[in-house]
Amino acid sequence: MHEYSLASAIVTQIEEIVEKYNVIRVKKIIVSASPYEMIIPDLLQEAYKIITHEMEKFKDSELLMEIKAAEITCIDCDYTGKPTEEGDPEFAYNFLCPKCGSRDTHINMKQMTIETVDLELSEE
Amino acid sequence: MVEIKQISVKKKAYVVNDELAENIRNKMKTKNKRFFNVMGSIGSGKTLILERIAERLSPYYKVFVINGDVATTIDADRIAKCGATTVQINTGGGCHLTASLMQKEFDKINIDDYDIFFTENVGNLICPAAWDVGAAKNIVVVSITEGEYVIKKHPIIFKGAQIAVINKCDIEGEDFDSKTLVEDASKIKSDMEVICTSAKTKQGIDDLITALGIDIPKRE
Ligand SMILES: Nc1nc2c(ncn2[C@@H]2O[C@H](COP(=O)(O)OP(=O)(O)O)[C@@H](O)[C@H]2O)c(=O)[nH]1
Ligand SMILES: [Mg+2]
Ligand SMILES: [Zn+2]
Repeated sequence: MHEYSLASAIVTQIEEIVEKYNVIRVKKIIVSASPYEMIIPDLLQEAYKIITHEMEKFKDSELLMEIKAAEITCIDCDYTGKPTEEGDPEFAYNFLCPKCGSRDTHINMKQMTIETVDLELSEE
Repeated sequence: MVEIKQISVKKKAYVVNDELAENIRNKMKTKNKRFFNVMGSIGSGKTLILERIAERLSPYYKVFVINGDVATTIDADRIAKCGATTVQINTGGGCHLTASLMQKEFDKINIDDYDIFFTENVGNLICPAAWDVGAAKNIVVVSITEGEYVIKKHPIIFKGAQIAVINKCDIEGEDFDSKTLVEDASKIKSDMEVICTSAKTKQGIDDLITALGIDIPKRE
């Protein structure tokens, strides 16, 4: 259930933004993550609901997760970017470097990014 | 009047934890302290290995161990009997430790009173992989009773580790084999240090201590 920790990390960062504006309500948060981060979107939303349940400014807000391209770094040639689609038949998550063909690559498992937040602001 | 405003945030969700972890790592380095994160499945032998390490190091070093478990203080009590100072964190439902949980414990002690720090992470091969606790090295313990494909099934946690410990080698035989685990651990990351141990017989414990970069006198 690391979705719970992630949801609370997201809420903490959004709260910091909320403090800077004259916010009536948080409407929508969009986050993005690669398909290989072991995040179950339903569990993330469930955790988000539990955490924000009694937070006045987060009432009825939604958290949406978009899927983005995975990113690898190659230990042999320092390439960083998208992997070659073809996975390793032997080791899952072991992607092929498109630059040098090495399998000695590291997939970034922590790409999750808070993209945008929609805030309902009071105009005074 | 109300206005809806979309704000571009573009911040990593893990940033709070990662910054704190980096902070812990730097502070430990500046103070010339070592801090190691021991991960692995439930029952792989993390606690028994830490007991062995604690009894081996405590004549020469002051050792502090933070134990993470969902409930009980059993593990911290076990390691405390071996000469280390220990503290137990109960995570409730939490499946991994975080940098802020570490920081809270470090705030309660004087870091200068100790030389070497360990944390025994919650027994789990999935979630701890994503949560940096600020250790200088990550160690994953697997035992040969977990089946020969356990590394293939959980590659991520091994990718993030510097040392793979293959434990319970004393029961190696017809039913349990370390060969595939040793091979997979070396293949999954070219610079992985792979060490076979038996926490029961103490085989390989000194090799593990050496791999951690800790100097100790040879056994008599
Ligand atoms: N035969 C054998 N048993 C071991 C070894 N290491 C741990 N055990 C046993 O395995 C069980 C789980 O060990 P423990 O250290 O509590 O595992 P943890 O859950 O990873 O902390 C205990 O009954 C230990 O005595 C070993 O190297 N050989
Ligand atoms: Mg234990
Ligand atoms: Zn490459």
